[in-house]
Amino acid sequence: MARVTMVKKVLADGRPCRKCAEVEARLRGEGLWSRIHRVVVADERDPEGEGWRLARRHGIATAPFFLVEDGDGTVRVYTAYLRLLREVLRPAAAVSALDLLEAHPELDFV
Amino acid sequence: MDGKLVERARRELAGAEPQEILRWALERFQRIALSFSGAEDVVLVDMAVRIRPDVAVFSLDTGRLHPETYRFLERVREHYGIALEVLFPDAAEVEALVRERGLYSFYREGHKACCAVRKVAPLRRRLAGLDAWVTGQRRDQSPTRAAVPVVELDAAFSQPDRPLVKVNPLAEWSSAQVWAYIRAHDVPYNALHARGYVSIGCEPCTRPVLPHQHEREGRWWWEDAREKECGLHAGNLAANG
Repeated sequence: MARVTMVKKVLADGRPCRKCAEVEARLRGEGLWSRIHRVVVADERDPEGEGWRLARRHGIATAPFFLVEDGDGTVRVYTAYLRLLREVLRPAAAVSALDLLEAHPELDFV
Repeated sequence: MDGKLVERARRELAGAEPQEILRWALERFQRIALSFSGAEDVVLVDMAVRIRPDVAVFSLDTGRLHPETYRFLERVREHYGIALEVLFPDAAEVEALVRERGLYSFYREGHKACCAVRKVAPLRRRLAGLDAWVTGQRRDQSPTRAAVPVVELDAAFSQPDRPLVKVNPLAEWSSAQVWAYIRAHDVPYNALHARGYVSIGCEPCTRPVLPHQHEREGRWWWEDAREKECGLHAGNLAANG
């Protein structure tokens, strides 16, 4: 089974960033939190910390993001929760309207 | 219609006027409908009824629209003699949303959960019975639309066994061109436009913009600052202020 690492951002005041808090709440609410094997923090107060290093290494500019390591050592990077849901966590599940909107921001203006 | 045909249509329709794109779509697809937001995309209704008078047109009534928009929807229905179809969200879903989060949760938690229930879910339900739909998306409307093609396979609503084509006849038009058409053809328009509203959505989430302000600034304006907090680049670091 693939190992999933979530990289989330913590603001200078110690709070998680809004999007990270939302995604974590959804993972927990949908019973998927146990599928996240490891959580790494990119803390604004520690720019040399592991979370920031991972973001730089993979060229990621937004939080949260996910690293999915397969059995053969291949690492896939996911910045969209919907894609992670569809491809890794729950491939057969129906996609919610909220997932669609998160993945397709152009729907905002319909 | 598969991806290759869409690609070919996109090449054939490059540089075409919206009317030509609409004609192509309305002649090609029987199960097609036009999505009308109650704003300046009314030009598409005007163009479409000249090509196919019985064209299917639908609007999403979120339950939170401006009174002016409701009146405008009715005016469009009467002016063009169309059976404008108004779609509503699922009552149980709205009740659950309001019970759990209140009537103004979008100001605290962002607009997406509310939009998903009131807008995206009814839209998905309607699109499930179509082969193609027409939208008023334009490239100059927002950064998320900067690359909108005139024809595309709908990435959000297509199913593996049932592709859905999205047609965006106004993609290459500017706001100025849309308004020139409205004036030239005496097209009715939403009264809110005369009061500084450019992009028109739900009442709590839309406000007028000033001259030279981008229309995006009139929608969900309170979220802009919050979006920045999720960036992972040097500019977000506390050390950089």
